[in-house]
Amino acid sequence: MKPELRKGSRSRILAGIVLAIATIFVFRLFYLQVIQHDHYVALAQAEQVKRDRLPASRGEIYALNGSTPVKLVMNETVYTVFIDPFVVNQSKEVDELRQVMKDVAGGNLLSTFEDSVNATDSRYQVIAKRVTRTQAEKIKEKHLKGVRFLAVSQRVYPEGQLAAQALGFVNADGVGNYGLEGYMNDELSGVDGKLETVTDVSDVPLTIGSGNIRIPAKDGKNIVTTIDRNIQSKAEQALADGIKRSNATDASVVVMDPNTGKVMAMANLPTYDPSKYYEVKDGAVFNNATISAPYEPGSDVKTYTMATAIDKGVAKATDTYNNTDYIKVDDRTISNATKGHTGVISFQTALTWSLNTGFVTLAQRLGNGTEITKTARDTMYQYFHDRFKLGQKTGIELANEAAGIIISPDDADGNAVRYSNMSFGQGLDATIIQVASGFSAIINGGNYYKPTIIAGSVNDDGVYMPNEAPQPIETGAVQASTSQQIKEMTHVARSGFAGIDKPGYYIGGKTGTSQVIRNGVYADDETIATYLGYGGSDIDHPEYVIMVSIHGDHKVLGGSVDAMPIFSEISNWLLDYLKIQPKG
Amino acid sequence: MRKHHGDRLIVVLTVLLMFIGLLIIYAIGPQRANLLNSVYGFSYSDTYFFWKQLLSFGLSLGAFWVLSVVPYNLVLKHGSKVLWVGFIACALLAIGGWTHIIAGTNGAVRWIDLGPLGSVQPAEILKFGVLLYLAVFLGIRSREGRVNDLKATLLPVGMLAAFALLFVIVIQKDLGTGISLTAIVATMLVVAGINRKIIFSLFGLLLIAGTILIFTSPHRIERVLTYLEGDNTSTSDAESYHIEHAKIAIGSGGLFGVGIGDSVQASGYLPEAINDSIFAIIGETFGFVGTVALIALFVALLMRLLGVMDHMVDVRLKLLAAGVFGWLGAHVILNIAAMIGIFPLTGITLPLLSYGGTSMIFMAAALGLIFQLSKYTVHASHIKEDINEDSRSRRGVGRTRYASRRGA
Repeated sequence: MKPELRKGSRSRILAGIVLAIATIFVFRLFYLQVIQHDHYVALAQAEQVKRDRLPASRGEIYALNGSTPVKLVMNETVYTVFIDPFVVNQSKEVDELRQVMKDVAGGNLLSTFEDSVNATDSRYQVIAKRVTRTQAEKIKEKHLKGVRFLAVSQRVYPEGQLAAQALGFVNADGVGNYGLEGYMNDELSGVDGKLETVTDVSDVPLTIGSGNIRIPAKDGKNIVTTIDRNIQSKAEQALADGIKRSNATDASVVVMDPNTGKVMAMANLPTYDPSKYYEVKDGAVFNNATISAPYEPGSDVKTYTMATAIDKGVAKATDTYNNTDYIKVDDRTISNATKGHTGVISFQTALTWSLNTGFVTLAQRLGNGTEITKTARDTMYQYFHDRFKLGQKTGIELANEAAGIIISPDDADGNAVRYSNMSFGQGLDATIIQVASGFSAIINGGNYYKPTIIAGSVNDDGVYMPNEAPQPIETGAVQASTSQQIKEMTHVARSGFAGIDKPGYYIGGKTGTSQVIRNGVYADDETIATYLGYGGSDIDHPEYVIMVSIHGDHKVLGGSVDAMPIFSEISNWLLDYLKIQPKG
Repeated sequence: MRKHHGDRLIVVLTVLLMFIGLLIIYAIGPQRANLLNSVYGFSYSDTYFFWKQLLSFGLSLGAFWVLSVVPYNLVLKHGSKVLWVGFIACALLAIGGWTHIIAGTNGAVRWIDLGPLGSVQPAEILKFGVLLYLAVFLGIRSREGRVNDLKATLLPVGMLAAFALLFVIVIQKDLGTGISLTAIVATMLVVAGINRKIIFSLFGLLLIAGTILIFTSPHRIERVLTYLEGDNTSTSDAESYHIEHAKIAIGSGGLFGVGIGDSVQASGYLPEAINDSIFAIIGETFGFVGTVALIALFVALLMRLLGVMDHMVDVRLKLLAAGVFGWLGAHVILNIAAMIGIFPLTGITLPLLSYGGTSMIFMAAALGLIFQLSKYTVHASHIKEDINEDSRSRRGVGRTRYASRRGA
């Protein structure tokens, strides 16, 4: 035997190696576990602690049914079904899955289903969307491996398409678009809660650890709109009738309370189904024309000019002027659309027959009597823009409101010609909501109320909490006497059409036929027909203002022929619905 | 030689280590089951891994006991048969794999499924066979003084090792077992007394072979590259994911650990939590105190093995102890070194603790054999004078050790 082996000297080398390595290990472990401890704890926390969102439930939207809120927009939980193709194939339940999904999910099954199942490299494939709770329960009962569900909240509309453009829709990311959903998105969304938990690698919370945080979600506000579901429904039906009658393409209506600014109905046709907003091909249908489509309001604005002239004391209904059907302003000659009422006529006649010359004359009288001076223009601008608030956003709680435009007399374009046009409604852009709101101020005694669509809210206990009664944002827009005269004049103007109103009520209105500007010039073959009016039991109690517009591509539609019947249909129905007592 | 009491510390350390492993698996088994169920669609019960490990624990205790009582001569006599069984099993495995009769995992076939009896890893039998066979072979060569003889010793040993490594590394793609096999052979050669020159050239040869192995597998290149990045790796990188999570587990354990059952990394973040990465879970659970204590236990056990080796007169038995030392040592060192980021990952288990029956049973069997040998130690001072040994040299009184050499 070799001495070396006997001495066991190599065992000492082996022992030395082991001890040396063990020492290195201990130092390294000291470094990792003691010196770098905080660093690794931070890394561990970063991946172990999952910060989950506790989704706030979106506020629901109500309409009024008389004075009781009824649900217009609700939430519903639907499920997105997804699979782990690896596990599904591993479990050999592919055929069963296919059968169950076809039987239960049917139309909700995505067309890519087969591809998803065969994508064995993938661990996540969505196979069905918008599956109802009942469907989901049926699928869950089968206990198929690798099939998971993601609860998604979606909006449902118990009233279908009613007031779709006023409401807007909520997209797949839960964000409100257009209308009330868009404007009030933050309030409706609420504030998501937070959940911080230590989870396993599949994000399943563990009971380990004490640093779990839970901040509950603050649900969105339930909003009650001023829209009355019955008036809205009637308005939409009247629009549809009107479009059919006039063979038009689109029409809009606003029904509001002139004494509060509350919008009782707001509708445009064509419209869309907000529960299937994703199927809409032409995005224009999302637009709420009453607030976002400025147009030349035309003859409806003659009431504004009349009000301005009366308020300034330069004219009254019975005052006269010499109508030749033509009037010269600077180098332009303005003519009447309706001719033949020549001679010395009253401004009432001019309003009744919507004679442009009468209103150009009023504009001149606001100046020195023969010219629309800077003073006249300043006055008109003050009334139209500052008092009746044309050409500026009303601030109604709806997204995508447009301002329109009124050219100031200080502007180079704000010359006499422009203001002569403005006196009968051309050369300015305004929205229906602006014109109706300004008109409300004119006929209610001179109080301008900001148009509003929000009546209040429904609290967590389901109790309706109405907002405080709206206050006018401007008083004395016109004097009370001016208001009375305009009501009278429009009533007289309307009385020219016999038998259109229920007897015993006080209804007034003004037709409008605006030319459409196409490529910068007025088109001869296309108009927007409008009607703007009010109604109530007597002259002192106007209860509603209705503004209607109707339009057809390449169609000349008239205010009295095409728009007024829609007004009358709604107006006569409203008198009953609002239980207004006849006085006359 | 007269038998005396064995080194009970070997029994205590072995059982203690296996018990710690069982405890950890008891604690994290439910998380493991939950993970496999939810991610891969299995349906393991919470206690599945614990019961399996308990069974392995029992079988390992049995294997330890059997090898500590079956006379070592008998075991050594059949060493070559064990080796054959190992080779045949490996060959069958390879054939089974090629013909797709046996399904593989991770692109290689390593287990033979025995149905309800579980599965067996032929490489472990092979390892044990190599240990027994080389002990006898090198023992004879050593006594003949021909350990450094190229033809008589080095070539046959080299051939045997190469053949075994061919099965393990090339066919089964199991680098970890290959390294432990190499460690067994190398330790035995060193202890058998081959001269330094040969040791160095063998070392050089291993270095070259290792380099070739690394560069022939993109997987291994990645592991080495990851290793070279040191502590700058991040969890977002797929290649460094494993080692980074091992370090997170160990580092977040701190001084005293998060406590039993509170391991979060075991819930799926750390791959192979109950197998190769169990050391990291121990680091998270018991902290620095725990890892140092565990290392101390392993070092103590390794020292006991060296103690037995030093006190063996029969070279075969000395080599047997050396082989087991190399086996256990290589596993412990490579596993821990990889987990704490100072050596690339090799996919090697932490012996006696990692989940998995076969390796544990064979390790326990080998330790049982050494425990038996510890009953035949003589005092070191007497080994030097073995030529003129008399009865005073014996720790116990009994028959002469010449009697025990019969048949060697």
